[in-house]
Amino acid sequence: MQASRARLFKEYKEVQREKVADPDIQLVCDDTNIFKWTALIKGPSETPYEGGVFQLAFAVPEQYPLQPPQVRFLTKIFHPNVHFKTGEICLDILKTAWSPAWTLQSVCRAIIALMAHPEADSPLNCDSGNLLRSGDLRGYQSMARMYTKLAAMPKKG
Amino acid sequence: MAQIIFLMQEPLSVLSEEYQTGSPILLEKIQVLSESYAAIRRTRGDGNCFFRSFMFSYLEHILESQDKAEVDRITANIEQCKKTLQSLGYADFTFEDFFALFLEQLENVLQGNESSISHEDLVQRSRDQSVSDYVVMFFRFVTSGEIRRRSEFFEPFILGLSNTTVEQFCKTSVEPMGEESDHVHIIALSDALGVPIRVMYLDRSSCDAEGVSVNHHDFIPTVGDVQNTTSKGVSDSVKPFITLLYRPSHYDILYPKN
Repeated sequence: MQASRARLFKEYKEVQREKVADPDIQLVCDDTNIFKWTALIKGPSETPYEGGVFQLAFAVPEQYPLQPPQVRFLTKIFHPNVHFKTGEICLDILKTAWSPAWTLQSVCRAIIALMAHPEADSPLNCDSGNLLRSGDLRGYQSMARMYTKLAAMPKKG
Repeated sequence: MAQIIFLMQEPLSVLSEEYQTGSPILLEKIQVLSESYAAIRRTRGDGNCFFRSFMFSYLEHILESQDKAEVDRITANIEQCKKTLQSLGYADFTFEDFFALFLEQLENVLQGNESSISHEDLVQRSRDQSVSDYVVMFFRFVTSGEIRRRSEFFEPFILGLSNTTVEQFCKTSVEPMGEESDHVHIIALSDALGVPIRVMYLDRSSCDAEGVSVNHHDFIPTVGDVQNTTSKGVSDSVKPFITLLYRPSHYDILYPKN
């Protein structure tokens, strides 16, 4: 508990320093609870998520950094490796391939990379995975773009 | 109930009991082992057993030998490992807590300080999941750093094992807790820390005509950037003070007879 708190505090200071270096990620710690964080990440360019801003919620366990943070999308997203209802993310580093060499910041970078490179073979969102697996790239992209517009872009007017 | 991380030191006969109904070859090999080794300390099979066995065996050796020169030597190597990680782009805060905890254990096993600990304390501490896991993670960082620093040397071994890149191997098979150790890990850790390790192999591999023998391999680090030599090399003068018993996918600690 003490160790995880100390580590998170170091990450907090690091995040303040990196703000300029990584403008695609805005990682914010809860005012009263260092085990709760949210992040705003920009959809990567040349993907159907471009132009969208996606919110992630982090719940950090007491055994952190020996155990990974739990991360999910709060913003609705159409992606094969993100559960459409819960926002749960299927990513190896958040499960078996986790190590303390990762940080909350680098997890955000890995999630952005996952957005750009969906893994259709281990889908949490079967509709999305099936579109990609059947080769209907256009179908997948238009669905993903539509949800980006609906959920991840500021409303006009 | 979660299995305890380390058992007591037990006479080698517990091994024969384990294999009472098993292969006669193994029983014969245990007999051969018992000529040179008196006892075994079994560890939990959770994928971290090599690192945990190494940790305990090393700290126990320092506690018993009070070899200050060895502590100074390894401390210098650890400082070098830290620089390796920094030059590979690891942020200090990702590994420094793990380094600090191991250095603390190292200091504590040296006697004559307020913080000195007894053998019993060492056993207790090593059984403490959080201490033990932090030290395992320290070794995993050191191992990963060494493999990446000498990626050209390790690449062929890694290709043979897993058909992945060195970087991918470190990320998926070295750094995460619970990933089992192979020769690659042992060579890298032994080299990085400069600590020789003997591994005795208890498996069913066939024996020569003269009778049953137990294969072993000495991992002998060489000073400088030279690769790890083996028992076939010239380093007969270096005698490992850490001996581990390998059974397929598991490591325990062996204690030689006096």
